Amino acid sequence: MENERISNRIRRLRFDHDEMTQQELADKAGVTRQTIIAIEAGKYAPSLPLAFRIARTFNVSVEDVFQYDSNTAPPE
Amino acid sequence: MNRTQKSAWFALSGLAIFGAISSYVFLSILAFRRMPHFSVALVGLLFFFAYLGCGSVVLRKKQSPAEPESDERDKIIMKNAVLVSFFSTWLFLAAVTVIAAILVGEDGSVSVYVLTLVNFAIIWGAVLIYFAAVLVQYALGGENGK
Repeated sequence: MENERISNRIRRLRFDHDEMTQQELADKAGVTRQTIIAIEAGKYAPSLPLAFRIARTFNVSVEDVFQYDSNTAPPE
Repeated sequence: MNRTQKSAWFALSGLAIFGAISSYVFLSILAFRRMPHFSVALVGLLFFFAYLGCGSVVLRKKQSPAEPESDERDKIIMKNAVLVSFFSTWLFLAAVTVIAAILVGEDGSVSVYVLTLVNFAIIWGAVLIYFAAVLVQYALGGENGK
């Protein structure tokens, strides 16, 4: 059984950007604060558009924010 | 608490009040064969409308000016709640028909008003389960909105 997980550095990036609050990030990404909390806690994997919006808020690439961890190798 | 959660709490408590008033009126008329006390029903109805008015004011309040009505995670949660409500409704309907068949027997009959009550109860229950499912998903944290 494939064990996959998406981790993120949102908390670190928020603090690096003048200690941005979850509410400020939520407003910039166009979601509610609860969704940011769930993403930060790894309980919700955002859609691709939302992942891009979060990354653009921090002026970094998506992979600088989200990391895909999987036990299985990608298909050839 | 976001707007979807607030709406769910508001709807759930509104349904409870509405259910209490309706039960009182229906039980008075159908079970006890007497008209409900007009003052009690009226006070209940006024309280219900006052509750709706206050609730609509509270629900307008946002966490921030930019807060959306609902986002993608809220939509997943609401979609799951619709599924839970739909299947619960069918289960409830199946249970009611089986229980009625066992209680009344194959040659028995029920009053027409019982069917009306069952219909109202199913609609009320479906909406209740929908909002309860929304709140449960938020309370559990919702792994990817589940």
